[in-house]
Amino acid sequence: MPDLLPYLIGGLANGALYGLLALGFVLVYRATSVVNFAIGEFLLVGAYLTYTFALFLPLPLAILAALPLAFLFGLLVERGFVRPLLGRSVVAVIMATIGLAAALDGVVQLLWGPDLKYLSGSLPNLGFQAGGIFVSSRAVWNLLLALPLGLGLLFALRRSRYGILVRAISEREVAALALGIPTARILAGVWGISALLATLAGALLAAASGVGPNLVFLGLKVFPVAILGGLDSVGGALLAGLILGVLEALSQRYLEPLLPGFTEALPFVVVLLVLLVRPYGLLGERQIERA
Amino acid sequence: MKRREFLKKLGVGALAAVGMPYIATAQARPVKLATLLPLTGPFAFAGNASREGFVDGVDYVNEVLGGVGGRKLELIVEDTGYDVAKGTAAFNRVVSRERPDELLFVYGDSTGLSKALAPEIARMGLPYSATSFANELADPKTYPTIFVFGPTYNDMMEALLRQIRLQKGRARIALVYSNTEFGRDPIPYAKERAKALGMEIVHEEVTPPAFTDATPVVLNLRRANPDFVILQGYVLSAEPLILRTAREQGLRAQFMGTYYSAELALIQRAGPAAEGFTVTYHNAYWYDTLVPAVNELRKFRQKKGRDTSYRPTYYMGSVAVALAIAEAMRRAAQAGKLTRAGLVEQLEKIGDYNAMGLTRGFQFVNHRLPYTKLYRASVKDGRFNAITDWIKLA
Repeated sequence: MPDLLPYLIGGLANGALYGLLALGFVLVYRATSVVNFAIGEFLLVGAYLTYTFALFLPLPLAILAALPLAFLFGLLVERGFVRPLLGRSVVAVIMATIGLAAALDGVVQLLWGPDLKYLSGSLPNLGFQAGGIFVSSRAVWNLLLALPLGLGLLFALRRSRYGILVRAISEREVAALALGIPTARILAGVWGISALLATLAGALLAAASGVGPNLVFLGLKVFPVAILGGLDSVGGALLAGLILGVLEALSQRYLEPLLPGFTEALPFVVVLLVLLVRPYGLLGERQIERA
Repeated sequence: MKRREFLKKLGVGALAAVGMPYIATAQARPVKLATLLPLTGPFAFAGNASREGFVDGVDYVNEVLGGVGGRKLELIVEDTGYDVAKGTAAFNRVVSRERPDELLFVYGDSTGLSKALAPEIARMGLPYSATSFANELADPKTYPTIFVFGPTYNDMMEALLRQIRLQKGRARIALVYSNTEFGRDPIPYAKERAKALGMEIVHEEVTPPAFTDATPVVLNLRRANPDFVILQGYVLSAEPLILRTAREQGLRAQFMGTYYSAELALIQRAGPAAEGFTVTYHNAYWYDTLVPAVNELRKFRQKKGRDTSYRPTYYMGSVAVALAIAEAMRRAAQAGKLTRAGLVEQLEKIGDYNAMGLTRGFQFVNHRLPYTKLYRASVKDGRFNAITDWIKLA
C-alpha cells in the first residue's frame, strides 16, 4: 500500500484537473445540449490570458485577473457563435464549435505567436512530505481548486436561484421562456462559467509545464471523462475525472510494462466498458424512450 | 542600304525584340525548394522557427550569394499542421503544381509523414529531407534521393551511450519514450547497443507524446533506480514536466535527450531541474558567436530589419539545410546538370562544405551525417554548453 499511495495521490491530482475541465463542458451540455468541441481551445485561451497577466503580476494574481476576462470570453462565444444558431439542428451547433476551435487556434497563434512560453512566477509551494511520501505542490493545488469548485458548483446548481433557473431551462427552454426566465442571459452566464473553469485548468497546467499550442490536447481528455460521468451530470464529471486520473496512474504502473501504449487508450476502453453496463454514464440521468 | 536588306535586318531585329524576353525568361526560371512544415498545431513553434530559417537561408542565397548558377532560388512553404494526411495532401499539391525541372528539393516534417511519402519520393527521383532523423530514412539503397541532414536517432543514442560508458562503465539505464514513430525509432538499437557495451536497461517507459502529470512515470523510474534516463520522442512536450517531477520526487538519475530536446525553452520551462540535462546537438547555437555563420546571419537579419534576438535550434537546422541545398544546386549548375538527379549526385559529394560552420560538414555516410556533439544544460548560464568535440558515429 505505501508503494501504491503516491500513484493514487498523483492520479487523483491529475484527475482533478480533468474533472475541472469536464465540469465546464458538462455544464454547457446540461444547460444547452451543445457539445462544445472547442473546450480545449477555451483552456488554451485561458492559459494564454494567465501568461499575459503573469508578465507583470505574481501568478496567483495573474490567475485572478484572467478569470473575469475568461468569463467575458465565454459570454462573447455564446453571443457570437451559439445564440445565432438557437433553434437550428444540433449538428449545426456542433459544426460551429468545431469551426470555433479551428478559429481560436489560429487567433491564439496570431495574438501570442507560435513560440513556447513559460511562466516566470509560480504558485505558492504547498508541497509536503508525509510518511515518506512526497505530495507535490502541483497535486495540492489541483485538488484544492478542483474539489471545492466542483462541489460548490453542484451545490449551486441544486440550491441556488441561479442553479434552479439553469435546471429549469435545461428541462424545457420554451416553458422557461413562457415563465419569464431570462434564458439568453442565463445561458450566456453558463458559457462564461465554462470558460472560467477551463481557464483555471489551463492556468494550473501552464504553471506546471508552460504555455504552448500543444495544451489543447487536454481538450481530448474531456470527452471520455464527461461521457463516463454522464454527459449531463456535474457531479459525475468530477467523479469520472478522479476515477480516470487514478486508473491512468495505475495503468502506467501495472499495465504499461505488459501492454506498451495502453494507458493512452485506457480512458476510451473504460468508457466503452461502462457504457455497456450504464449507457447514461456513472451519474447521468437515465432517459427512457418509449416508441 | 537596299530596301530588301533593310527589311531583312528589320525582320531579324523584330524577331529578336519579340523573342528575347522569352529567352531571358527561360534563363531566369527559378529553381524551387518546397518545405512542408507544421506552421499550425502542437508543433507550430518548431515549424515557424524552421520556416524562418528557410526564409533567411533562401534570401541569403539570392541576395548575398547571387542565387543558384544565375537563377533565383524560390521557396515554397506549405502547412502540414503536424498531420500526416494534411502533409501528404500538401506534398501532392506541390508536386503536381510545380514543374519537375524547377522543383528540385522537398523538405517535409515528421517521421510519420516522411515514412509515408518515402516510396513515392523514391519513385519520382525527388531529392528529399525532413525534420525527422529516423533511421529508416537513411537508406540510399531503398530511398536513393532521401537525405538525413544530421545523425539518425540511432546515431544520437550511440553518442549518449558512449558518454554514459565514459561516466560510468556498467551503468543502469532507463528509456522513456513516446508511443510514436519518433519515440520508438531508436529504441531497439539502444537496447541492443547498451547490452553490447555492458550496460543494463533496467526500465522502459512508454508514454503518450504529451501528458499532464509525470508522477507515475517518475515513480516507476524511482523503483527501477537507474543511473541514467534517456528521453526520446518529445519536442519539449513532456521533458520539462518529467524533469521537474523527478527533482521533486528525489530521483537522482542523470537525464539525457536527443536533438529535439536541445532547445533553450527546456531550461526555461524546467527551471533548476534542467541542470545537467545532456543532449545531442549537431548545429551551431545562435549564441555560438565564434561560428562565422552566426555572425553572418545576425548581420544579414539586422540589414533586413529582422529580429536578431535568440533563434531556436529549429531555425539553425533549417538555415543549414537551405545553404547546403543551394550549394549542391550551385555545383550541379556548374556541372551543367541542374536537375533532380544532378542534385542528388552533388549532395553525395558535398562533404567539404559546412555552411559557414553551422555543421561539421555535409559528409554523408549512407545519406546521413554521422557526427554530433554533446551539450549539457547550465541553469546559471541559461543555455546548453558543449561538453565534447565532434563525435564520429560511423
